[in-house]
Amino acid sequence: MRLFKNGKIASGASPELVNADVLVNEDGVIVEVGPSLNGGDAEVTDCSGCVMVPGMFDLHVRGREPGFEHKETLKTCAAAALHGGITGVVLMPDTSPPIDSGNQLKSVQDRIVELGSIEMLQAGCLTAGRAGKELAGYSGLAALGVPMLTDSDRSIDCPDLLRRCMEYARDFDLLVTSHCETSALAKAGVVNEGRLSYRLGLPGLPAISQEISLVRDLALARHTGVRLHLQQISTGVSLDAVRLAKRAGVRVSCEVSPHHLMLSEEDITNYDTAFKIQPPLQKRENNEALLAGLLDDTIDVFASGHAPHTAFEKSADFGSAPWGASALETAVLAIYDRFIRVGKFNWDLLIRKYSSAPRQLVGLDPVAISMGEKANFFVFDVEAETKITPDYFRSKCSVSPFMEETFQGQFRETLIEKY
Amino acid sequence: MSELKPRKDLLDIESLGLDEIEYVLGNAVPFKQLFQRSVKKVPTLRGKTVLNLFYEPSTRTSSSFEVAANRMSADVTNFSVSSSSIVKGESLLDTIETLQAMQSDYIVIRHQAAGVPNIVAKHTGASVINAGDGYHAHPTQALLDSMTFREVHPDYAGKRIAIVGDVLHSRVARSTSTLFHKQGIEVGVLGPGALIPEGRPDFMQRFQSWEDVFDWKPHAIYLLRVQMERQEGPFFPSIAEYHKMYGMNSERLVSMRKLGAYLMHPGPVNRGVEVTDEAMGYEKSLISTQVENGIAVRMAVLHWLKPETQMD
Repeated sequence: MRLFKNGKIASGASPELVNADVLVNEDGVIVEVGPSLNGGDAEVTDCSGCVMVPGMFDLHVRGREPGFEHKETLKTCAAAALHGGITGVVLMPDTSPPIDSGNQLKSVQDRIVELGSIEMLQAGCLTAGRAGKELAGYSGLAALGVPMLTDSDRSIDCPDLLRRCMEYARDFDLLVTSHCETSALAKAGVVNEGRLSYRLGLPGLPAISQEISLVRDLALARHTGVRLHLQQISTGVSLDAVRLAKRAGVRVSCEVSPHHLMLSEEDITNYDTAFKIQPPLQKRENNEALLAGLLDDTIDVFASGHAPHTAFEKSADFGSAPWGASALETAVLAIYDRFIRVGKFNWDLLIRKYSSAPRQLVGLDPVAISMGEKANFFVFDVEAETKITPDYFRSKCSVSPFMEETFQGQFRETLIEKY
Repeated sequence: MSELKPRKDLLDIESLGLDEIEYVLGNAVPFKQLFQRSVKKVPTLRGKTVLNLFYEPSTRTSSSFEVAANRMSADVTNFSVSSSSIVKGESLLDTIETLQAMQSDYIVIRHQAAGVPNIVAKHTGASVINAGDGYHAHPTQALLDSMTFREVHPDYAGKRIAIVGDVLHSRVARSTSTLFHKQGIEVGVLGPGALIPEGRPDFMQRFQSWEDVFDWKPHAIYLLRVQMERQEGPFFPSIAEYHKMYGMNSERLVSMRKLGAYLMHPGPVNRGVEVTDEAMGYEKSLISTQVENGIAVRMAVLHWLKPETQMD
C-alpha cells in the first residue's frame, strides 16, 4: 500500500485543484481518495507542493522499433514517456520494415506485451510500405485493433489514392491520420520560407505546403465521411480551415505540439538542428493563433511528435540533418511553465487535451484519480524547477530545442498499474 | 580608432561592426598598392598555413584566396572535394576531425550547404573564412564589392546601387546588399517576382522595370549571375526571356551611360544572358577591378583574423 499525502488532485472536469490524499493498494488500484487519510502501515509519500495529474496519452510518438534501435527502443521510449508523465502512446509505423500488415503489427504488439511497461498502441500504415502507391492491408490491421492509419510524416501525394484509403478505412471505422504537406511545394525546404530562410540562406518550405494539403484532406474527409485526424497543425490559416470544416460537420480532429505552440522560426539560431522539426517552425504570430485554437477547442489534442535521432545524425548541417527532436520528456514541463503557471489555461485543459481527448480518439476510456480506478497518474512538484540538460533525458535522444532551458516544475514520479 | 576586438572567424557580414569593416577595407588599400611593386609579397603570415577547402567547384574564388595567401607568405594547401564524391549527409564531424589533424591556422571553406562554416568554426581553433555557403553568405565578395565601389565613389554614403537578377539563390546579393546597407548606401532590386524573395530585408526596395531603375538614378548596377545549375523550379520561362527582361543590352547601356552609372558583376559572366558582348566592353565596367580587389581584400582578411591555434 502507498499513501500520497498533502497533494492536490487535478482533473479534466474542473480547473479547481482538490486537496486530497490518495491510497493505492498492492494491485495498483486506488482504494481511497479524500482529506487526511490514514493509510495504516502504508508507505507514505509526502506530496506537499505537488499536483497529482492523470497520466498523459500521446498520439504521435516514434519508438523506432523495429529497425532504428540506435535512435530509440520501445524500452527507452517507455522510460522517457514515464519520465515525462505520459502513460500511454501511439507509435508511428515509420519503422523498418514499416507496420503495414497484420503480421508486422502482431510482432510489435508481442514486443509491447513482453516489455510490459506503459500503454503502447502501434499504428498502421495507410499505404503499403509507406510508399504512397497502394493501400496497406487494413483488414489484418483492424482485426488486431490498430488505433489509427497513417503514413507518419509522409503525405499521400495522389488525391485519388487518399480518397480510396479513406473509403476503405471508413468500412472498418478506422481513424485516418494525415501529415499535411504538399511535396511539390515543400521540395528541399528545411525552414519556413520567409525572412528566416532568406537570412540563413536555407531552402524555404512555404506555409502553403501544409495549408493546401490540409484543405484537400478536409475536402476528402467531408466527401468520404471518414474520421480524420490532422497532425502538427502549425499555422493560423490551417486552423481556420479546420474551424470551418468542424462547423460543417466534418469528422475531424487535430493536434498541436508544444514545440509548435511555443517556438517560432525566430528561435532558430546558429543553424541549431535541434530546431529542425516537422513541420518547420513558423512565424511568431502563429503561436498566438494556435493558443487561441486550443482555447476555442478547434485544436483537440496535444501530441509531442517525439522523433528521436542520434546526436551524431543531428550533428550534420541544417539541410542534411534529419527532421525531429526528443519531445516526450519536455512536453508537460514546457506546457506547465509557459501556460498553466502563468494562468493562460489550467490543468483541466491539459488533462482534456493530453489525456482524455486523445484516449477517446483511439477508443480508450479516460483515466482519473478516483476510487476504484487503476493508478495512472503522475506527481508533479510545482515548487521545484527542472533544467533541461543532456543528462535529463531517459530517451536515447537528448536533442531538444529546449536544451539549457529552466522550467518551473519537476516530475516526482509516474504511477501506472503494470500494463 | 579604438582597439578592435580580436575576431577568429569571418562567417557573414551581418555580425560585422562598421569599425571592423573599415579596418579591413583600410588595410586592403596598401595591400593593393603592393601589386604594382616588383616584389608582391609581405612576410606577415610566414610559417602559417592556409587550407583552401572547396566543396563546390570554383576556380576564381579559390585562386583568389590562394594568391592572397601566397602574397602573405603563408603555406597554402588546396583541397577540393568534387561534389560527386560527397554523400548527402556526410558527417561533418568526421570532416572537422580530419581538418584538425592538418593543423591549419586558417581554413577557407566553400560548401553547398548553408551554415557549414559556422559549424566548422565552432569546432576548430583555426580561423574560418566563409568563401560561400549555400545561399547564405559570401562575405569576402561583399568586402571586395564595397572596396571597388568606394574607389569610384569615395563619398559613398547616400549613393544608390541597383541589384538585378536572382536574389533568391544568391549569397552574393545577401552579403553585398547587407554591407552596402550598413555603409548607408541605398539598395534596390530588380528581377522576376519568384526570384525576389518576400522575406528580404525592408531596405531592399523592389523595382518593376528597368525604367523604374533608371528613374531612381543608381550610381552602380550590380548584375547577378543567373545560376543555371540552381534553377530547380520554374522561376522564369527561358534564358532568352530572362535576357530580354533583365539583361544588360545595348538599349539599356545607353541609359546607363547617360547616368554615368558603373557596372558590377560577381563573375563569371554568362555572356548573352546577363550581359551582351557590347555591354561587356562598357567603359565604366568594374568587373576586372572587382577581381583585382578580391585579392587585396582577402589579404586584409587574413591579416585581420586571429586564429586560436597560435601560442605566440
